[in-house]
Amino acid sequence: MSLWSEIWFLLGKEVKLEWRQRHALSGILLYVLSTVFIVFISFQQISPQLWNVLFWIIMLFASINAVVKSFVQESGNRQLYYYQLANPLAILLSKTLYNILLLLLLGGLNAAALLLVAGNPLEDPGLFVLAVVLGSIGFSVTFTFIAAIAAKTSNSSTMMTILGFPVIIPVLLVLVNLSAHSIGLLQGSMIRDDIIMLAGIDLLLLGLGLVLFPMLWRE
Amino acid sequence: MKKNWWKILGPLLVLYSFGMGLLTPLKTGISDIRPQFISAGDTVKMEVTGYNSFYKAAEGQLRAWLKLDQEHALAAQAIEVKDDRHLVLHFVLPPHLPQDADQADASLLIDSPVDGAHVYPGGIRISQKKTNVAPGSGAAWNAPIEKLHEKDAITFPFRNILGETIRNTYYHVPMWFAMFLLFIGALVHSINFLRRKDLKNDRWAAALTTTGLVFGAMGLATGAMWATYTWGEPWSGDVKQNMTAIGLLIYGAYFVLRFAIEDPERKARISAVYNIFAFSTLIPLLYVIPKLTDSLHPGAGGNIAFGSEDLDNTMRLVFYPAIIGWTLIGLWASQLLYRMNTLREKLLWGH
Amino acid sequence: MIRTVARTFACFALLALSTTTLMAQQEADFMRSMGKMYVVVAVIAILFIGMVLYLYSLDRKLTKLENQISHHDEAETTH
Repeated sequence: MSLWSEIWFLLGKEVKLEWRQRHALSGILLYVLSTVFIVFISFQQISPQLWNVLFWIIMLFASINAVVKSFVQESGNRQLYYYQLANPLAILLSKTLYNILLLLLLGGLNAAALLLVAGNPLEDPGLFVLAVVLGSIGFSVTFTFIAAIAAKTSNSSTMMTILGFPVIIPVLLVLVNLSAHSIGLLQGSMIRDDIIMLAGIDLLLLGLGLVLFPMLWRE
Repeated sequence: MKKNWWKILGPLLVLYSFGMGLLTPLKTGISDIRPQFISAGDTVKMEVTGYNSFYKAAEGQLRAWLKLDQEHALAAQAIEVKDDRHLVLHFVLPPHLPQDADQADASLLIDSPVDGAHVYPGGIRISQKKTNVAPGSGAAWNAPIEKLHEKDAITFPFRNILGETIRNTYYHVPMWFAMFLLFIGALVHSINFLRRKDLKNDRWAAALTTTGLVFGAMGLATGAMWATYTWGEPWSGDVKQNMTAIGLLIYGAYFVLRFAIEDPERKARISAVYNIFAFSTLIPLLYVIPKLTDSLHPGAGGNIAFGSEDLDNTMRLVFYPAIIGWTLIGLWASQLLYRMNTLREKLLWGH
Repeated sequence: MIRTVARTFACFALLALSTTTLMAQQEADFMRSMGKMYVVVAVIAILFIGMVLYLYSLDRKLTKLENQISHHDEAETTH
C-alpha cells in the first residue's frame, strides 16, 4: 500500500469509528453550543474585541477536548496492530487530517453560534474564514502531536492540557491578531505577513511532527 | 585547570560588569522643569533641576534654548545659577509661535563647557491663544544653536524616567539572553539524544533546562522590580515579559512530563521530542517581537521600547561581556547538576 | 528536581510580590531617591538571592546523594 492510500484508508476508518459512536462527536458540539450560550448569558453585550477573544478561547478549549482522544483511544491490541501494519507517517497524517476536519466543523459551529447570539462584527468575512482555516490546521497539527506525547504518560488528559497550552500560545497570539484585522480592530498592511507566518508555522510544525513522530511511535 | 578556564572567565566578566556598570557616572541631564505649560507672549521664569550637573563651575558660560524644531529656537535672556543642581532661566516668549497651531511642544537645551550639552526632550508645552496669525510672525524664533560642547568622559546615557536604573541593563537583560542561550543548548542536546541515544545528552538537556528556568525566574523577578519604578507596575504585558513567561510555562511542562514517565530511556526520548517541538513554537514569537512592540507601545519611544538607539557604544562595552559572563556561569551551574545526576544514575543503576 | 524548581518559583514570586508592593507603598521615596539607584541595588540583591537559592538546592541534592552512598556502603559491608 502506498502512503497516500494508507492515509486515505486510516482516515476513512477514523470517520467510520466516529460515526459509529456518535456520542463523542455530539458531546463536543454540545460543548461548543453550551459554552457560547453561557458566555452570552453572562455578558449580554459583547463588544467586537470580546467577540474575537471569546471565539478563539472557546475554540481553544473545544479543540483540546476534541483532539485529546485521538491517541488515548488507541490502546492495547489496536496499537499493536497498527504498529505492525501501518507506516507511522500515515498514522500521524490521517489523524491530523481527521482533526483538521473536526476543528473546521467546530470552528464553523462556534462562529455560527456566536454570530447568532452576539451579532456580526465581521468586516472582512473572507479573511476571518481564512484565519479559522489556518487556525484549525495549526491547532490540529500541534494538538495531535501533543496528544501522541500525552498518550505515553499515565494521566494523559491532564498532561494534554499542561503540555498543550504553553505550546499553542504563540500560534494563538498570531491568530487573534489576524482575526482582529478581519473585525476591523486593527488597521495596517501586516495582514499578508501574518498569513504567511501562520502558514509557515503550520508547515514547520507539521514537518517537525513528521520527523519526530516515528521516534515517539516505535517503542 | 586548563580545561576549566571558562569557569574563571564567566565570573570575571560578571565582576567586570558589576564594576564598570556601577562606577561609571551618568551623563548630565535635566530631571525637572517648572513650569512645563507656558503661553506665547509671556515672560517666563523657568526653574530647572539638573542631574549630575556642575552649574556653579560653569557660571557665566552657560547657554540655554527652547527648541521647537530644527529651524526654530529661542535663547534664554538671562541665566541665574542657584547651585550645582538648580538654575533659573528667563525667557521672553514672542507673541506668536512660528506654526499656525494652538500649541507646540518644545525641548529645553542647555549647553555648559563643564558638563557638555544636555536636553530635556519635548516636555514643554507652549500654547497660543490667537491662531490665525500673519505669516512670518514667528521670525523671533531664530536663535542659532551652535558651538555646543561635548564632555569627553566615559558615561552612560541619562534618561528621565530611568535615571540610574539604566544600569539594570547589565543585571536584568543578560538573564533573558542567558536563559535563551541555555534553552538553545538544551535543544541541541535533545536533538543529539535522538540521534545517538546516549543518556548523557538527556542529562545535559535536563540540567541546562533547570538552569535556564532559574535564570528566567531571576529575569522575571528583577524585571518586575525594575518595571515597578519605571513603567509603574510590575507586569505591563511587554513582549519580552510574555515570552519569558511562556518559556517558563513550556519548560515547567517539560519537567512535569519527565516526572510522569518512569523508564529512563523512554523518559529521555519523549521529553527530547517534546523539547524540540515546544522550542519550535517559540519561533513565531521571536518573529512577532518587532511588530507587537510597535502595536503595544504606539509612539512611546525612549524609556519603554528597548531599541538599538537606547544602547550606546559605552553600554555595549559592559552589556555584551555581562551576557557572556552570565551564560558561562549558567553553563557552570548546569555542569554541576549534570555531574551530580550522572553520579546518582551510576549509584542507582550500577553503571 | 521539580520540587526544588517549584519551590524556587514560589520563593521568587513571593519575593518579587512582597518587595514590589511593600516598597512601592511604604518606601516609594526611598526607592526613588538618588536617581532610583536603590532599584539597581534591589535588582543585584535579587540576583544574589537567586544564586544563593540555587546553591541551597544543590546542597540538598548533594546531601541526599551522600546519604544514598553511605547506605550503599553499609549494605556492602554487611554482606
